[in-house]
Amino acid sequence: MVDEKKNQKRNQRKADDDMINLVDNLNRSEDLRFNRRAFLKSAVGASLTLGIATLPFSIKAMMDDGEDDSEKLEIAKLSELPKGESMEFHYPTDSEPALLVHTKNGELKAYNNKCTHLQCPVFYEKKEEVLLCPCHRGFFNVNSGQPMAGPPQRELPKILLEVKGDVVYAVGREVRHG
Amino acid sequence: MGKKTCWVAILCSIFLNVVMLQWTIEAFFGKEFEHVYMYTIIAIASSFIALLFYGKWRKLDKHERA
Ligand code: FES
Repeated sequence: MVDEKKNQKRNQRKADDDMINLVDNLNRSEDLRFNRRAFLKSAVGASLTLGIATLPFSIKAMMDDGEDDSEKLEIAKLSELPKGESMEFHYPTDSEPALLVHTKNGELKAYNNKCTHLQCPVFYEKKEEVLLCPCHRGFFNVNSGQPMAGPPQRELPKILLEVKGDVVYAVGREVRHG
Repeated sequence: MGKKTCWVAILCSIFLNVVMLQWTIEAFFGKEFEHVYMYTIIAIASSFIALLFYGKWRKLDKHERA
């Protein structure tokens, strides 16, 4: 039930309420004044919401902080990976897929191969010497991991490598680089 | 300080917070955690300032009517 008394009060002139004078809506200056107030209130609300929306990221960041990416892990034998070939491995954890590429001019490159657009796996295209994300045709530079075309805006996380004899090790990761 | 200032401050804080949210997300996925914290602090501070300015505006508005 509507509270009659309250209703009465808010429908009086000079009531201190946002939704006033619904029966007296020809009072233009009052109308404007309270519209303006409601608008400003929403604006403050929007600013507050946006500000608070950044909090979860900080909390998650605090939880992830201190985790070290620099474990040394054997990932491949060089003799099993001829030039122009690539192979998948996981680094630094089992849930983070990565791609090791032996480029045509003999360099070894490795990146986490979750596309930085919407996380599809990225593949090595031998012919064009690029990394291709088939989902929305995103292209990454093999030599730097930087996005070249398509929707991705961020580079692929680079995995640092070390070669000892015939064995390739992953020794660390740079998420932001170049 | 007039009501205009309050409006400008509040609108600026919205704009700043949109940018901060975008940057926070960018920094988070780039694992640049110090930046994440910094942007969050800026965003919260600017929200708070918007709130203060709103209070100020209310006061001025009431004053005007009285
Ligand atoms: S997920 Fe890779 S381009 Fe969209």
